[in-house]
Amino acid sequence: MNTTTMKWLLRREFWENKGSMFWAPLVVGALLVLLVGGTIVYGVAAHGVPAHVTINGQTVANGGMAASVTLESREMIAKIATGMYLATASPLFFMLSFAVFFYCLNSLYDERRDRSILFWKSLPVSDQMTVASKAVTALLVAPLITIVLAVGASLALLFLVCVAFSFQGINMFSAVLASRDLYLSPLILVALLPVYAVWALPTVAWLMLVSSWARTKPFMWAVGVPLIGLLILKWVDTAMEKISGVSLAIMPYAQDIAARILGGILPGAWFIFKGGVPAGLRPSENGVDLPALVSNSYATLAGLDAWIGVALAVLMLFAAMRLRRWRDEG
Amino acid sequence: MSAVIEAKGLSKRYGKRTAVDGIDFSIPAGRIVGLIGPNGSGKTTTLKAALGLIPFEGELSVLGYDPRTERDALMQDVCFIADVAILPRWLRVADAIDFVAGVHPRFNREKAERYIAGTKLKPSMKVKEMSKGMIVQLHLALVMAIDARLLVLDEPTLGLDIIYRKQFYQNLLEDYFDEHKTIVITTHQVEEVEHILTDLMFIRDGRIVLAASMEEIGERYIEVMVSHDKLSAANALQPIDRRTVFGKAVMLFDAGAPGGATRQQLAALGETRNPSVADLFVATMKGSYA
Repeated sequence: MNTTTMKWLLRREFWENKGSMFWAPLVVGALLVLLVGGTIVYGVAAHGVPAHVTINGQTVANGGMAASVTLESREMIAKIATGMYLATASPLFFMLSFAVFFYCLNSLYDERRDRSILFWKSLPVSDQMTVASKAVTALLVAPLITIVLAVGASLALLFLVCVAFSFQGINMFSAVLASRDLYLSPLILVALLPVYAVWALPTVAWLMLVSSWARTKPFMWAVGVPLIGLLILKWVDTAMEKISGVSLAIMPYAQDIAARILGGILPGAWFIFKGGVPAGLRPSENGVDLPALVSNSYATLAGLDAWIGVALAVLMLFAAMRLRRWRDEG
Repeated sequence: MSAVIEAKGLSKRYGKRTAVDGIDFSIPAGRIVGLIGPNGSGKTTTLKAALGLIPFEGELSVLGYDPRTERDALMQDVCFIADVAILPRWLRVADAIDFVAGVHPRFNREKAERYIAGTKLKPSMKVKEMSKGMIVQLHLALVMAIDARLLVLDEPTLGLDIIYRKQFYQNLLEDYFDEHKTIVITTHQVEEVEHILTDLMFIRDGRIVLAASMEEIGERYIEVMVSHDKLSAANALQPIDRRTVFGKAVMLFDAGAPGGATRQQLAALGETRNPSVADLFVATMKGSYA
C-alpha cells in the first residue's frame, strides 16, 4: 500500500466529516466543561465544601471543613478523581458511536448519490485503498480524535474543580498531580483502542457493505435486515417449539450476531458481548482498577468469537470494495 | 507506436437493451478524437468501458491494459471527466489541489493554480458555494494539470459560458495537447470542437457509422450549392443529404462511396465547399430521432 496516498485519503475523510468527528465533540466537550465545571465551581464557592463528596456514585465521607481535611482523605479524593475523571467525558464516547455509525452508513453511499465517485475514480486511487481508508477512519481516526478531546475536556474539568477547592483553602493540586491514575487514564484509553477496533470491525464492515450496496435508504437496510431477520427467526422458532416441541436453539446466536453487527461500535460493548462487566471492574470505594480494565478487555480477544467476527468483517469489506469497483452509476 | 485504445467486438448490454453492439475501433496516439452521437447512442457507455467503470464483452485494450483487470495501473496514465461527475459539495479549492497533488504523481500544481487564477475561484471556496460553471472550471483546472497520456472528456463544458468554453478548448490545444497525448471528447456542441479535432467517430444505436480523420472527411464529403438548372443532374448523383438555404438547394455528397460522384462532376453543379461536422452529423444521423 502506498502510504502517501493513504495519508491523503485519511485527510480527505477528515475534511468531509470534520463536523461530526471534530467540531461536534469539541462543542459538546466545551459545554461539559462550562456547565458541569461552572456548576461545581459555583456550588463550592457559594456553599463551601460539602460534608462529603460524591463522584460518580462514590462517596468520600468526612470531607468536612477545610481545616479538617486530612492528607489521607485528600489523597483518597484525588485517587478517585484521577481514576474516574475521564468518565465525565462519557457523553463524547456516546456521541462517537453515533458519529461512526452514520459515517460508515454514508461512507460509500454519499459519493454514489452525489456522483462525486466518478471524480474520485478518475484519480489513481484503488478501490481497496479507498475502502481501507474509510474503515481506518471509523476504527482508529475518529476514536483517537474523541480520546484527545475527551482527555482535554476532563483535564479542564478536573482543573476547575481543583481551583474551586483551593479557593476554600483546600489544596488538591499536589495530591491530584501526584496521583498515578491522572497520567495512566489517557494511556488506558489509547491502550483500549485496539480492542475497540477488533469488536467494532464487524459493525463497521456491515454498515459499509450496506453503504456500498443500497440504492436508496441505507439506514433502513442496515438496521432493518438484522432486526426483521431476527423477528422472522423468532416466529419460526416459536412455531417449531409449539408444533414439535423442539426449539431451533439458534435464537441466542442470531441475537448475538444482530447485536454485534449493529452494536460493536459502542465503546466497551465487548463486555456486554462477553456476558457483562466483570465484577472486579465495577467502581468501588477505591475508584476504578484501571490496569484490570485493560487486562479484562484484552481477555475478551482470547475467544474465537472475536476473530470469527473479524474474518466475516474482512469478507464484508472485500464485498464492499468489489461493489464499489463495478457499480454502474448511470 | 501502437494504438492507445483498441476495441474488437466491444459489446455492452443492459438487460435486454444493447447499448454498444460489437464495435471495432482503434485510436492511435497523438490524436484528438471527437466521439459524436445522439443521446443514448452508446458513446458514454463506450467511454465507461474504456475507463474500467463497467464490465463489458469483447476485447478492449487501453494503453496496453485491460480496463477490467488492470484499472489501477491504467489510472496512472488516464484522466477523465465523466458527463455526470460532480465534485463533492464539501471540497475546498485549496484542499482539492492538495489532494490531487498528493495522490497523483503527474499533477502539476503550478498549472492548476494558473488555471484557477484565470477564474473567480478563491482557494478557501467550497464547492457548495460555487455556481455550476465554477464547479466545472475547478474540475477542468484539476484535470488539465494532470499530464495524462489519455484524457477522456465526456461533455466537459456543460454549464460553462461561451467565453470560458472557447478559452478552455484553446488551452486544451495550446497548453495541454502534444504528440504523446490522446484526447477523446464527446460533446453536443460539435461546432466548438470541430476545429481542434483530428479524427471523428460517429456512433449511432451502439454502432460506429463513421470513423475517419478530418483530412479524409475533407476529401470525402463535399457540399454543393446547386444552381437551379442542375437540380436533376445533382439528384442523379445520389446526394446523402439535401436542404435549402436562402432558396438554394444545398446537397451533400460522399465522394468516397463506391460509385460516388467525383470532385470534378460536383464542381460542375455549383459552388463546392467542405461541410461542417454538424451538417455531416445531421445527414448521417437522419432518422435516428424518429
